[in-house]
Amino acid sequence: MKLQKEAMDWLDSRLGIRELLHSNLNGYLLPRNVNVWYTLGSVLLALFGLQFLTGILLLIYYVPDTEKAFASVTAIMNQVPYGWLIRYLHVVGSNLIMVFILLHMFSVLFMGSYKRPRELTWLSGFGLFNMGLIFCLTGYLLPWSQLSFWATTVATDAAGAIPVVGDHLIVFLRGGPSVGEATLGRFFALHVMGLPMAFLGLVGFHLFCVRRAGISSAPFGDDYRPTELTKSFHHQEHPGGVPFHPNYTIKDLSMIFFALALLVAITFFAPWLFIPPDALTPADPFSTPEHIKPEWYFLWAYQSLKIFPSALLGLAAQGAAMGFLAMLPFIDRGPERRPSKRPIFVTLYLLGILLTIGLSIWGHYS
Amino acid sequence: MKQVQNVCLALLCVTLMWVAPALAEDTVCIQCHAGQEGSLGEPVDQWRSSVHAANGISCHDCHGGDPTDFAMAMSPERGFIGAPDYAEVPAFCGRCHLGVMEDYLDSAHGRALESGGPQCVLCHGNHEIQMATIDLINEESCSRCHDYERATQVKQAIAATETTLQTLESSVASLHRVGIDVERIKADLFAKRNSFRRLFHTVELEKIKTQTNQFNQDLSETKQQIDDHETELGQRKVVGGIMVLLLLLGGCIALLIRRSYQAEE
Repeated sequence: MKLQKEAMDWLDSRLGIRELLHSNLNGYLLPRNVNVWYTLGSVLLALFGLQFLTGILLLIYYVPDTEKAFASVTAIMNQVPYGWLIRYLHVVGSNLIMVFILLHMFSVLFMGSYKRPRELTWLSGFGLFNMGLIFCLTGYLLPWSQLSFWATTVATDAAGAIPVVGDHLIVFLRGGPSVGEATLGRFFALHVMGLPMAFLGLVGFHLFCVRRAGISSAPFGDDYRPTELTKSFHHQEHPGGVPFHPNYTIKDLSMIFFALALLVAITFFAPWLFIPPDALTPADPFSTPEHIKPEWYFLWAYQSLKIFPSALLGLAAQGAAMGFLAMLPFIDRGPERRPSKRPIFVTLYLLGILLTIGLSIWGHYS
Repeated sequence: MKQVQNVCLALLCVTLMWVAPALAEDTVCIQCHAGQEGSLGEPVDQWRSSVHAANGISCHDCHGGDPTDFAMAMSPERGFIGAPDYAEVPAFCGRCHLGVMEDYLDSAHGRALESGGPQCVLCHGNHEIQMATIDLINEESCSRCHDYERATQVKQAIAATETTLQTLESSVASLHRVGIDVERIKADLFAKRNSFRRLFHTVELEKIKTQTNQFNQDLSETKQQIDDHETELGQRKVVGGIMVLLLLLGGCIALLIRRSYQAEE
């Protein structure tokens, strides 16, 4: 204890650590009505951490070579001590991250937390969502299974619909005319180095935005009033609120425990949920599987490409939908955040979710 | 040495199963015959539902010829054989099913071939051929030529081993589905099944009974390997269950602590 105090004194005299900790933990007050949806950010941070850890462990044995990749993954699953656990945690974790990112985004949309002054928080979060999708796409190829090969072929083919540059874009993405050694090399580099560095930077910026602008109150209850918008910077304070630590961090911790329980349950009891049979055979460029389908979070995009008369129109519609979502804080600029006072938004919100789920189910069974 | 040969043959067949299905449909044989009527077109639809089609064995694999060239597809220069005569069928099928042909030719069935005895197609069919099962030995089929009594005894002698083989194959498929590397077990089982299928083509009851016991011993070794994997999977689930419970407990405790803070607030 004495040593700890001395260490703190040493740090405090140089960095003012006590004041820093107090202003960000005990002295950092949150609104009293924060609900369970506010814990999703912490759950995601914990899952990202686990992905980094399991990813690094997988890197020890994985070989990014088309001749050896599948065999190395098979060895990880069957010969490396607890390799199966590490790999399944990584695979199931990536899917759960997509689930929690979507829930986080849905809750932010429903509570209008993307609105001014939190446009940059929303934009960086939207960027993280897209980066998560690219993480999944690049990671999907690495085991070099039939599913990896053909799903990547289909996904990169979609870029060919873009006029003028489409064909060049396919070659750029694949590193050649077809998916092969060069594709595996660049996807691997992106997955284990490029994306993690960019991702960490963006997570840092996202957290900075959250902390700097202050936590928004949940727009529910009789006491809630829309915040008056000011032109100059204003950190949203919550006098009389609850301390971030330990009152709120313990709630975060409980949700992290529950999320990990779900992750472990799927990992041990139903890992096949996220591993289709085609992922269990090595890639064969000469044998196309009958029904190659993308992962569940890409099914809406896959089906929307199929229902438009041309792939270009489908891509344009997807781009417009994603662009609209990214720019939402600049389109929906009213101060009102209570869902009960925003019937048009809530209707569009529900229709949007139903459309996405409907397209995904259609894509799954088509 | 024989086992090594069997494993190699099994690996070759498994490789063919992966590579061939996509290629099988693209031949000029299919393109031309699919549009024809009667005996020239019917084999295409029959073949499509067959075990051969499922494993990518196409027309030219049996009938020869060039599956890529319309003009030369049926040219003897490119190895076209066409349909074999009745007595030539065992040699025709035996180009791939070597072991079975050997035992069949030594059997009472094979020795009667020249005098119109049964050959492969009579029991297995030709273009619509299905995965062989023990049900192929049935009264309707066997009593076309002789009394069913002896066939019943053969069927009884092999029934238990056949069931064991099917159970083991199903267990191997389940292990594969959860990421266990079963390639060696699969190839071993494939070779054992083929050898066993050879055996009952001899239709010699005593030989079948004696050698079936040996097969059962061999299969028990394979079963042991499968059991070991299944035991490990079971243990994993127990550990997983404990971990889930501990994590849920941790979550509940954290929530209770949160409640005590709420009371203070």
